[in-house]
Amino acid sequence: MTLSDDGDFGRQMSGFKDFYQFVAPTRVVAGRGLIEGLGFEFSKEGAKRVAIITDAVIRGTGLIDKVQDGVRDGGVEVAGVFDGVPPDSDSGAVLAAAEQARADGADAFLAVGGGSVMDTAKLADVIFTHGGEPREWEGYYGLPRADDGLGRPFDLAPLACLPTTAGTGSEVSFAAVIKDRDEHLKFQVADFPMYPRLAVLDPESTRTLPPAIAAATGMDAMTHAIEGYVSREWTPHGDAYALEALRLIRDNLVRAVQTPEDDDARGNMLIAANLAIAPISCNAIGIAHALSHPAGAHFDVPHGVANAINLPWVIEFNAAGGPDIADRYRDINELLGLETGGDDATIGHALAEHVRGVVAALGLPTRLGEVGVPESAIPVLVEGAMGDACTIVNPREPTEAEFAELYEKAL
Amino acid sequence: MAYFKDDQEVYEYIGKLFEDLSVDPELSPKFRKADTIVQYQYRNPESQITVRMKENEEPKVDLGPTDMDPEVIMTMEADTAHKFWLGKVNVTVALARGQMKAKGPVAKILKLVPLVKPVFPKYKQQLANAGRKDLVEVA
Repeated sequence: MTLSDDGDFGRQMSGFKDFYQFVAPTRVVAGRGLIEGLGFEFSKEGAKRVAIITDAVIRGTGLIDKVQDGVRDGGVEVAGVFDGVPPDSDSGAVLAAAEQARADGADAFLAVGGGSVMDTAKLADVIFTHGGEPREWEGYYGLPRADDGLGRPFDLAPLACLPTTAGTGSEVSFAAVIKDRDEHLKFQVADFPMYPRLAVLDPESTRTLPPAIAAATGMDAMTHAIEGYVSREWTPHGDAYALEALRLIRDNLVRAVQTPEDDDARGNMLIAANLAIAPISCNAIGIAHALSHPAGAHFDVPHGVANAINLPWVIEFNAAGGPDIADRYRDINELLGLETGGDDATIGHALAEHVRGVVAALGLPTRLGEVGVPESAIPVLVEGAMGDACTIVNPREPTEAEFAELYEKAL
Repeated sequence: MAYFKDDQEVYEYIGKLFEDLSVDPELSPKFRKADTIVQYQYRNPESQITVRMKENEEPKVDLGPTDMDPEVIMTMEADTAHKFWLGKVNVTVALARGQMKAKGPVAKILKLVPLVKPVFPKYKQQLANAGRKDLVEVA
């Protein structure tokens, strides 16, 4: 990364970088009929007796019965099923899942669900392996390591994920975001051993996904890919993943939502979401997320919906930040068949309008005001956005006034 | 070879910077919005600085042992801390590389990162005033 004389970090939006790190240790299997072979695949990761982590809604669809059959058919035992993960998972669910896994004599975890279920399983695995309370592990790269904490981190019990939404990409990420209900906050735990060993992408797992959730989670994946590609922490590895994710989203998102019986479209969206999270492993993200997090924290706006609303405004804001930023959006426009000529603002506006069109086609809300965010909340939302970790890696640094203006536009 | 010869040098330069910031009329109120207590644990040389940045309490900086209970613990080489205050460390990269380790609600600290840019020239000036231009040039 280039430094200016006053010590500020200049942004470098192209060329050879001084440093970046790309990590993708999760084995991904994608295709049809994989649920039937779950045990066969997971046994290759050392699983012998599996604790299945899920929620009551997913269990109610009958998917867990198929999962258990698939685990057993591969010669792996099912130690037990924990279906107590709430929609916004919390420390209590993490502890309960870890405790049940211990009591059932499990030696591995299988998460079947969306981001909340997968994150619960990741942190439950930490507690299961190392003990302690969930908040004790809050932070980055803080799991026990060899050589007095400076060497290789110790392994956790094998974790496999079968995502039932196509959005978060948590099945190949190393972070867990969990709610502390007593403190009214969400906390994050992230370290290399938390990368799942195995991710299974089978469209059968999203067959019963309601279209509104498929739409919102799909927009989350699109936001990951676009923000990841245009972040100041972009990387060539992340670019490759982000652009292929966008190709798949271009061809499959609306299809998957409007024709839910289309297995190919749903399967491709699982792959798109899986690819789109890769840049975030390099910290490549941006302020659509910084704007969305406070809206979720204060007004329970679903994350994918908030991203869908905020993303077009952020694109227009960032594209006006300089030709080096606009050129990155130009790449995306080319991939999507949009305007690639013209000035920076034209490029940004063309992409923003495209995103707005997709959001409308998906039937999602287009205004924060439609999802319960009042204008009076702007100051507290701005404070949250300014303090969000995603802000410092956005290509253009927003002021408080600019954040307020973005919220005003999104309202 | 480490930039600082012992913990006292760490306290003399980085510690003094924190002490100055805690009473800076412009920056101190902004830092106190973090509403937390951060402990910086340094290696080579072993040293520790604990900083209270609470909205409803006076700022406090302890160099070495402390009776404050930190909410966030940042661990790094003292050299990394020195380079950070010179504006030569990208925090997100340093975290990814493991050059910095963070325990606790790290977002409270990350949100201060954009605020510290004006501090970089202050640190350089402080080192220059102390006759330690070598520490500016070495990093």
